[in-house]
Amino acid sequence: MAKKNARGNDEVNGNVNLSPMIDCCFLLLIFFVVNATQITVAKDPSVKMPSAVSCSDLKDANGCIVVNVFSDIDKMSPKALEKYNKAYAPNSLWGVADANGNTIGYTSGQTQELTDFIKKQKENFKGKGLEDGKIRLYLRGDMAAPWERSSTAIRCAAAAGVTNIVFGTLPSK
Amino acid sequence: MARHKQIKTEDQEDPEMNISSMIDCCFLLLIYFLVATSLVSEKKLDISIPASTQSSSSQKPPVDPGRIVLRADGSATWNGDLTVADVYNPDAQPGTSEYRSQRELDQLVEQLKNYKDLATSVQAEPVVMLTGAPSAPHQRIVDIMAALAEAGIKSVGISTADPEAN
Repeated sequence: MAKKNARGNDEVNGNVNLSPMIDCCFLLLIFFVVNATQITVAKDPSVKMPSAVSCSDLKDANGCIVVNVFSDIDKMSPKALEKYNKAYAPNSLWGVADANGNTIGYTSGQTQELTDFIKKQKENFKGKGLEDGKIRLYLRGDMAAPWERSSTAIRCAAAAGVTNIVFGTLPSK
Repeated sequence: MARHKQIKTEDQEDPEMNISSMIDCCFLLLIYFLVATSLVSEKKLDISIPASTQSSSSQKPPVDPGRIVLRADGSATWNGDLTVADVYNPDAQPGTSEYRSQRELDQLVEQLKNYKDLATSVQAEPVVMLTGAPSAPHQRIVDIMAALAEAGIKSVGISTADPEAN
């Protein structure tokens, strides 16, 4: 990695020129730094994302209130189930992360609490100077989750005054 | 940035700056970002729910909203009778023709495009009402949302009534 000086008695300075390699490294570094900061929505590994044709890139995650919608636990993979059990209370249907990154799970009887959470997040974003139109519900629904759970989350968001919904997907293969 | 300067005087040796530690740091950072950056990034589908306050006037809209009904088995109908999506098969493997036809709801996209043209011709905003069975899989909803996005319809009303209750 460091440059070597190989000098013999009668040899001219035989240094290896490292500058092009360093330039390439810097370029790669800048590329990855820029790419890494683009994706800022919290990704919960317990959710198996659905795929969709004609979806677009999420260019700006600012203003996204992320709500994870879980499937039944018997449909989760063992690895996903382990992470779900570690992060959320039993029987949680919806999962969110607060401003400090702590995960919170809401059960079917806690729709009012979910509405309050969305409302609080909305107020936080508004306090940061974001317009109403830019505050969106980012719904990360598991592909096997029943629609009832997703629609309840949308209803909670509507009750909290958030009417723009973003469905999180993966590109279709 | 990376090129080092060589200042030479007659009786001096090369006063070289040791940049190996900086290169080491760069490599460490590069490896960190290589590992931390996920290559498959999530995508999105946007919709907006028509606000209930908009319907304050009793005037009938120029075009009736389109209606999509999704049943528990994943099949869907357009405006009551036309079947636009077959029964959902969660075991369809990616890359197969069955998987492709499950994701690309061509018939629904065609109907939605026709409906959008009709609404645009009378200067009305195309609005679609989606009624889904509570147990319908989320993947099927996303398929329908993708069809709506492909047709360019962004305003979607979501009904919570069970289409199979009666």
